[in-house]
Amino acid sequence: EYQKVVKSQDAGLKYTTAEQLYNEAKEEDSNRKFKKALRLFEQIVPQFRGKPQGQKVSYLYADTYYQLEDYYLASYQFERFEQTYPDSEKAEEASYKKARSYYELSPRYFLDQADTEKAIVELQNYLNAYPDGEFAEEANKMVSELQVKLEKKAYEIAKQYHHTEDYKAAIVSFDNFIADYPGSPFREKALYYKFDSAYELAINSYRVLMEERLNTAHEYYKNYLKYFPQGEFQEQIEASDADIQTRLQNF
Amino acid sequence: QDLPLANGKKYTLGDIKVTGTVSYNEQTVIAYTGLKKGDELYIPGDRLSKVLKKLWDLDLFSDISFYITNVEGNVADLELEIQEVPQLAEVRIQGIDKKREKEELIKENKLQSGVKVTENLITTTKNYIENKYKKEGYFNSKVVVNTIPVEDTTATNKVNMVVNVDQGEKVKIDEIEFTGNERLSDGKLKRKMKNTKEKNFFRFWKRSKFIRSDYKEDKQAVIDKYKESGFRDARIVSDTLIKKDDENIALRLNIEEGNKYYIGDIEFLGNTVYTDEQLKRAFGIKKGDTYNGVLLDKRIDDQTKPDAESLTNLYQNNGYLFSNIDLVETDVYNDTIDFEIRIVEGKEAYFNKIRVSGNDKTKDHVIYRELRTKPGEKYSKQKVISTVRELGQLGYFDPEQLEPKFIDPNPNTGTLDLEYQVVESGASKIELQGGYGGGGFIGTVGLSFNNFSIAGLLDKEAYKPLPMGDGQTLSLRAQASTYYQTYSLSFIEPWLGGKKPVSLSTSFSYTRQFLFNYQERKADKSRSFDILGVNVGLAERLSNPDPYITVSHSLGFQRYNLNNYNTGLFTFGDGHSNNFTYTLGLTRDNTYFNPVFPNGGSQFKITAKFTPPYSLWNGVDYDNLGEQREFQLENENGNLIDYDGNRVTPENAVPDQGKIDQEKYKWLEFYKVKFNGTWYTTLANFGKSQNLVLRTHAEYGFLGAYSNSRGIPPFERFFLGGDGLGSYSLDGRETIQLRGYPNQSLIPLDRNSLSQASNEDGAVIYNKYSLELRYPITLKPSASIYALTFLEGGASYDNFRDFNPFQLNRSAGAGIRIFMPAFGLLGIDFGYGFDPVPGESSPNGWETHFIIGQQF
Repeated sequence: EYQKVVKSQDAGLKYTTAEQLYNEAKEEDSNRKFKKALRLFEQIVPQFRGKPQGQKVSYLYADTYYQLEDYYLASYQFERFEQTYPDSEKAEEASYKKARSYYELSPRYFLDQADTEKAIVELQNYLNAYPDGEFAEEANKMVSELQVKLEKKAYEIAKQYHHTEDYKAAIVSFDNFIADYPGSPFREKALYYKFDSAYELAINSYRVLMEERLNTAHEYYKNYLKYFPQGEFQEQIEASDADIQTRLQNF
Repeated sequence: QDLPLANGKKYTLGDIKVTGTVSYNEQTVIAYTGLKKGDELYIPGDRLSKVLKKLWDLDLFSDISFYITNVEGNVADLELEIQEVPQLAEVRIQGIDKKREKEELIKENKLQSGVKVTENLITTTKNYIENKYKKEGYFNSKVVVNTIPVEDTTATNKVNMVVNVDQGEKVKIDEIEFTGNERLSDGKLKRKMKNTKEKNFFRFWKRSKFIRSDYKEDKQAVIDKYKESGFRDARIVSDTLIKKDDENIALRLNIEEGNKYYIGDIEFLGNTVYTDEQLKRAFGIKKGDTYNGVLLDKRIDDQTKPDAESLTNLYQNNGYLFSNIDLVETDVYNDTIDFEIRIVEGKEAYFNKIRVSGNDKTKDHVIYRELRTKPGEKYSKQKVISTVRELGQLGYFDPEQLEPKFIDPNPNTGTLDLEYQVVESGASKIELQGGYGGGGFIGTVGLSFNNFSIAGLLDKEAYKPLPMGDGQTLSLRAQASTYYQTYSLSFIEPWLGGKKPVSLSTSFSYTRQFLFNYQERKADKSRSFDILGVNVGLAERLSNPDPYITVSHSLGFQRYNLNNYNTGLFTFGDGHSNNFTYTLGLTRDNTYFNPVFPNGGSQFKITAKFTPPYSLWNGVDYDNLGEQREFQLENENGNLIDYDGNRVTPENAVPDQGKIDQEKYKWLEFYKVKFNGTWYTTLANFGKSQNLVLRTHAEYGFLGAYSNSRGIPPFERFFLGGDGLGSYSLDGRETIQLRGYPNQSLIPLDRNSLSQASNEDGAVIYNKYSLELRYPITLKPSASIYALTFLEGGASYDNFRDFNPFQLNRSAGAGIRIFMPAFGLLGIDFGYGFDPVPGESSPNGWETHFIIGQQF
C-alpha cells in the first residue's frame, strides 16, 4: 500500500498519506512511521514550494526530522521554514525547535563547542523575539546549562595546566577564566587553584624569585578569602598560607 | 518589521501582476514572494528587497524587477517582471572525435540537461576547455559556445548548447634563444626555465609545451638567476614568440645584464634587543660579497620556509610578533651597494588565550598536553610551527588542514590569542587479508584504533560508533590458517595519569600451532604447541638530571605448552616452560635535529632483564638430577631401561634428558644485560643540512645464569650476522646486525665441533663495533634519502673465558636508505665479509642486505 503511494505521481495522495502517517507516528511515538512519512515529505516538499499547502508541508517535514532526532537536518529545515514563512503561526515553535536542535547537537564540554555557541545564540534570538513565549522558561534553562558547559570547558583547560605543573600558564588561564565568567559555579575552585598554582610556583622557584612569588601567592590567598570566607578549600589554603608566612620569615 | 529605504513611502498593496514567466504559474510566484493584496509596505523598502533577494536565491531567474504600475491615493499596484534562465536541453560537442573525451568535458563542466544556462556557465565552459587544451600544449585551441532555443509545442524555456572546439595543432618549442647574455651561458639559463623546455628527443619525461603562465614564471626564474649572481639590474628587455610553422614556435629573449654588483656597508638601525654584531652574524652577508638579491631577501624574511634562518625569524622566535624589518639600498657607487636594515622592534608579545577548535572526537586534554605554546608565554613563531607539526604527527588530524590562527594581536598591550583549528581524520585502521601459503589458507583480521578511549567503553553516549578521543591505542589482531592460530591484543596509554608523558603499554598474545603433516597436507590436531604471552610496560621521560633520559620497566610472561610436539627448542615433546621476566631499561638520547638523520649527539641504552632466581630457594639439586629415580629413563610400565630399551637395575639406570630438561626449564632462569652506544659527529658541512656525519656505534650483550648447575637456557640468545631484522621465532632470540655475512650465520668463535646443534644454538656473549659515514642526498619531509659506507666487526662467544674484544668478524660496504613517513625506512646495503663464516676457510665475500622498517 505504502509502496504504491511512494511510486505514484499523485502529489495530493502523497500529502494526505504523509500527514496521516505523521499524525499516527506522533500518537504512537513510532520512529518507523516517521521514517515512512519522511520519505514522502522528501518527495513532495519541492512540488509544494510556493503553493498554499507549502507552509504546512515544510513545517511537517522539518518537524519529522526533529522527531527522528536528526537534529542536524532539523535545525536546517526549521531555519528555512522560518525564513520562508516569517509570519506563520508556527514561527515561534520553529524558532524554538531550531534553537533546541542546536542544543541537542551541543557535544560534551571537552569537544569543540561551535554548536554550543550557536545554540546559545539561537536560544537568545528566540528569547529576544518571544520574551513571554511558550518555551521561554525552558529556553532560559537551556541557555544557562550551555553557559555552564562553556565555563566547565574553560575551567578544565586551566585546571589541566595546574595538573601538568605548568603553573605560569595555569595562573594566566585562571585569571582569564575569572574575568570572563564572573558568576560561574567554578569560580571558587578557580580562585583556589589560581592560589595553589602561585604557591607551587613560588616554593619551587630559585631563591631570588621566591620572595616576590610568595607575596603574590599571599595576595591570591587574600583574594580567595575575600570572596569565599567560609569556602570549601579553607583548610588547605590556610595551611598553605601558613607555610608561605614561615618561608617569608627567611627573607 | 518593514523599514523604509532612503526616501521610501508607505503604500498599501493593490494588485500584483507577474510578467515574463514561461514555465511558472503566476500564482505560484506571488505566493512565493509572500506579498498579499492589502499588505502595507514601504516602496522602496526592506521588505521588497528581501523579496528580491529570496527570488534571486532561487537561481531560476536572470532578471527580476518590480514596477509600480498605478498609484491611487496610497494604494500601489505592482508588476513583477522576471526573466527566466533557460534550461539546458542537449549539448553537442563538435571538433572532438573521441566519445570518452566528449563525455569527460560534459562531466567536468557539469553540462547535464536541466542545468540553468547562465552567461557565467557559457563563459566558464569556454575558458575551461580552452585552458585544458592549452595545458596539454595545444596553444592555438579555440572554443566557441552557442545556444539555440528549442522550439517545440509546449511553452518550455529550453536551449541546446553547441560547443565548437578547435584544438589546433600541438605546439612545441623548437628553440629558445637568448641574446645579450654574456656572463651566464645559454645552457644555464635554459636549465632555470623549469617548465618551458626546448623539444628534445631524449627528454621523454617532460615534454616540450608552451604554457603562458609557466613561461611567465620561468622568465622570472631567469632574472632571479641573474640576481643571485650579482646582476641586480638584469632584465628581459623584450621577448618574442616566433611561429615557425603550425607545430613549432621559437622563443627569443633579449636580456640586458647590467653590471655585477658587490655588497658595501650594511648598517642596522632601530635594534635594541640584539647588538649589531649579533645581527651581522645572523644576517650572514658581509661587505665585499657578490650582490645576491634573492639571498638578501631570504635573509630578511624567507616566505617559502616558515622555519628558515632569517632576521625576521630571529625576532619572531623571541616574542617580537610586531617587529618589522626593511632592507633599504642607501647608496650605489661604482659596483658597490650600501644597505640599511631598518628594524622596528615593537612590543614583545605574549600569548593570552590558547584555544583549539574543530575537535569533535579528540578530547581537549589530549590536544592541550601536546601544545608547545602556553598562556602567558612569550610569543615564538618557532613554537607555533613545531606545535602544528607535532599535532600533525599524532595522526588524529589532517596535517594539511591544521591551521594556527592569531586572534586579536594587540600591539599596545602586547598580547595575542591563538586558536589551533584542527580537522579530525580517521585514526583507525582495518586490516583484512586472505592468502594461500604454507599448505593452506591464511586469514588475517586486524583492527587498530589510534585514538581510542578505554574510559568510554562503559559510557553509552561515547559510542559514535566507538569510544574515541583519549589518544590511546588499541590494536587487535587475529591470524589463522589450517595449522596455526595467533591472536594478539595491545593497548597503549601515552600519558598515564595525564601529568607527564608516562606511557603504559600492555599486550597479550596467544599462539597455537599444530604439527603439520606434509605427506597428508593437513594439520595433526592432536599434537600442538601453544605460546601465551603477556607484557606490561611503563616508560617515563625524566626531567632530572637532564631531559634526555627515559626509564622503562616492563614485566613479561611467556608460557610454552607442548603437547606431543617436538621442536628444536626442547628435548621433550610433552610438557611446558614458563618465562617470567622483569626488564629495566635506561636510555639517554640527545641526538639532534632530524631523527631520521641526526647530525650530532649520542644515544646510550642499557637494559637488564631478570627472571627470579628460583634455584636459590627451590632446593632442587640440578647437578645430580640424572641420579634421581624420577628423572631416569623408563618404559611405559614404569620399569627402568637403558637407551637400547633393555631393562636395567637401578645401579645401571640412565638419565632421561627430556625429563631433566623439563625440570630445568619449567621456570626459565637467567639474566641478560645489554649495552648500546651510538655517537653522531658532523665531520664536514657542505651547506645547510648537507652534513657528512660519522656514526660510531658499539654494543655488547651478555646472557648469564644464576646457578651454573642449572645452566643458561636455550632461550633469549644472541644470533649474529646479516641484516639484523627480527625473524619469526618462538624462543625470544635476538638477531644482531652484522653486514657482510649471511643472516644469523656467525656462531661463537670458540665452538670447535660443528654439529647441527651447535649451528642452531645462539650465543650468550657478543660484541659489535661499527663506523658508518653518512651523507644526505635529500632530507625533505616527504622523503629523506642518504647514502652510507660502513666498516664493522663483531663476534660472539659461549663463555667469558674466551671473550676477546679484538677477535672480530670484519666487514665493509656501502648502501643507501630511504625514509618515507608512509612506508618507514627502506634500504639496501652491500657488504663484504673479510672473515670466513664458521665451517668455511675463505673470506665470506659479498652479501646484499635489504633493510625494512628498522630503526635508523
